[in-house]
Amino acid sequence: MNRTAASAAAPASTPTRGRRAGGALSSPAVLALAPMTLVLLAFFIVPILGMGMVAFTVDAPDGGTALGLDHFLGLTDHSRAIGNSVKVSLVGAAIGALIGTITSFCIAQIRSRRLDSVVAVLSSVLANDGGAPLAFSFIVTLGNTGLLFGLLGLDAIGFSLYSWQGLVVMYQYFLIPTMIMVTLPTFVGLRREWQEANTALGGSPWTFWRRVGLPVATPALLGGWILLFGSAYATHASAAVLIGTGVYPLVPLSIASELRSGASGGGEATAMALGVTMVVIAIVVLFLFTRLQRRSARWLQ
Amino acid sequence: MAPVTRHGWLRWLPVVAVAVYIAVPLICSVIYAVFPGGSFSLRAYSVLTEDASLLAAALRTVTVAGLTIAALLAVLVPAVVAVHLWAPRLRPVLEILCTLPLVVPAIALAAGIVGLLRWGAQQGRGSFASQISQFMQNPDLPLILVGTYVVLCLPFTFRSIDAGLRTIPLKAMVEGSASLGSSTWGTIWRVVMPNIRGPVLFSIFFATALCFGEFSVAATLSQQTVPVWLFTVSNTDFRASIAVAVLLNLTTWALMLTATLIAGRSAPSARTTDAAEDISTPDDDAGPVPTPDLQKVSV
Repeated sequence: MNRTAASAAAPASTPTRGRRAGGALSSPAVLALAPMTLVLLAFFIVPILGMGMVAFTVDAPDGGTALGLDHFLGLTDHSRAIGNSVKVSLVGAAIGALIGTITSFCIAQIRSRRLDSVVAVLSSVLANDGGAPLAFSFIVTLGNTGLLFGLLGLDAIGFSLYSWQGLVVMYQYFLIPTMIMVTLPTFVGLRREWQEANTALGGSPWTFWRRVGLPVATPALLGGWILLFGSAYATHASAAVLIGTGVYPLVPLSIASELRSGASGGGEATAMALGVTMVVIAIVVLFLFTRLQRRSARWLQ
Repeated sequence: MAPVTRHGWLRWLPVVAVAVYIAVPLICSVIYAVFPGGSFSLRAYSVLTEDASLLAAALRTVTVAGLTIAALLAVLVPAVVAVHLWAPRLRPVLEILCTLPLVVPAIALAAGIVGLLRWGAQQGRGSFASQISQFMQNPDLPLILVGTYVVLCLPFTFRSIDAGLRTIPLKAMVEGSASLGSSTWGTIWRVVMPNIRGPVLFSIFFATALCFGEFSVAATLSQQTVPVWLFTVSNTDFRASIAVAVLLNLTTWALMLTATLIAGRSAPSARTTDAAEDISTPDDDAGPVPTPDLQKVSV
């Protein structure tokens, strides 16, 4: 496999370059790559680039169009949605990261390979949850007429599922499994020799975790928390079913409702600008997560 | 770890608490669906046979899933084979392009797709672009969903197929097959596909789970798939929507579980770990812990 750093950095597929470099770009290769190129262009690259174009295009005074940031400056109308999204994602990610870390730490301490692999499989399945059925199950459980709402006395403490509290509680359903999925390999991988070496040198379990365990685990934990933030920020389906529109605005819900309001009202450009901000946040999240994962993987080879 | 062993049961406390938190909403949904008014009844499930709109939504979803699987394999397998055989320089490019959809939230991609379709529709009645736009959004056969779902599947299925092709002597197989007179496409279909059965099965189950769980794109494009139907019907018949939601939830979980198990079994590292299970050491971190899946199927 001819994987050079230079070709990995090449952002776009350039057939001429491939022919010159590889010398093997025969016609079956072109034929085999053509459908993939078409699908990626039609359903991914053009829509995303188009979204960027609409978001950055403004009406110029002379009646034409020009590049501008007007649609992004106009997002101050949506500052409540952005604030809500950030708040729910920050709180949700913090709680999910804490509970997920404690749980996967305990699972690693139990030292059962069977439990490890069962948890790994189940958590990767649950991490993918977050669809419409999830919201329905929470409405039945913790909604105003939910089976556990009265039982737990949630009314008395002022809990409402249809608010940021409800979103935070519901998001834990996929945030905790995501955190377990990301951190369990780290905790399982914290080597027993290191613990034994620590004991042999006279250290207590407390010194082990303070001097070795936590420093090694920190990048993975931080990465997990960032990933949870991104995951909560991007969640649309379960929030849409639970909240509907208008009551508690979130960025993904605002995109959907601006799109519904149509092209005529200028809603579309706002939706595209919001979409661009989501993509930017997602890119930052994934970049930071990959960097931190790589750093923690260095110790756990 | 003296304090931990003394209170061994404490280690189970968070595990059990999370398990309870995961199980309770599902149990409540089942109770709500089949114990209306305190006594057992499957009346809520009569919607499965009586509601024509659910049947239509289910048929639409199954059609979309079938077409997505067919398109995904037809697009992805030749492309990955091509970069392995003829254009290894393009492999990193393909990898980056196939991983990029992971970065874009589904609702943002849906917004981009809506923008493109509206742009097409605005190109004038009867124009080529507006005809394509209408054709793609046909409510009976929403091809736009098929294309978008193929893109959403790519990050995971690319990795799986790519890893699968790396473990087989692809070049020798294709050359041997060609010297016996088979065409390139015949070779891919008859020789390569059976040898990457694991990754192909993973792709099929993953794509099915995605098609049955996806809400954002379908709802934004006003296509009545099963999850969107759930949302619509919850306004009129809430108990029926809960009843169907439980079934849908269990179905997607089962599909994802199967996909994850297949991926774990066909991954080369897991295979060696299984063999080494008997002499395993606790610090062996190459266990069958799947690599973190960053994308959410149903967002």
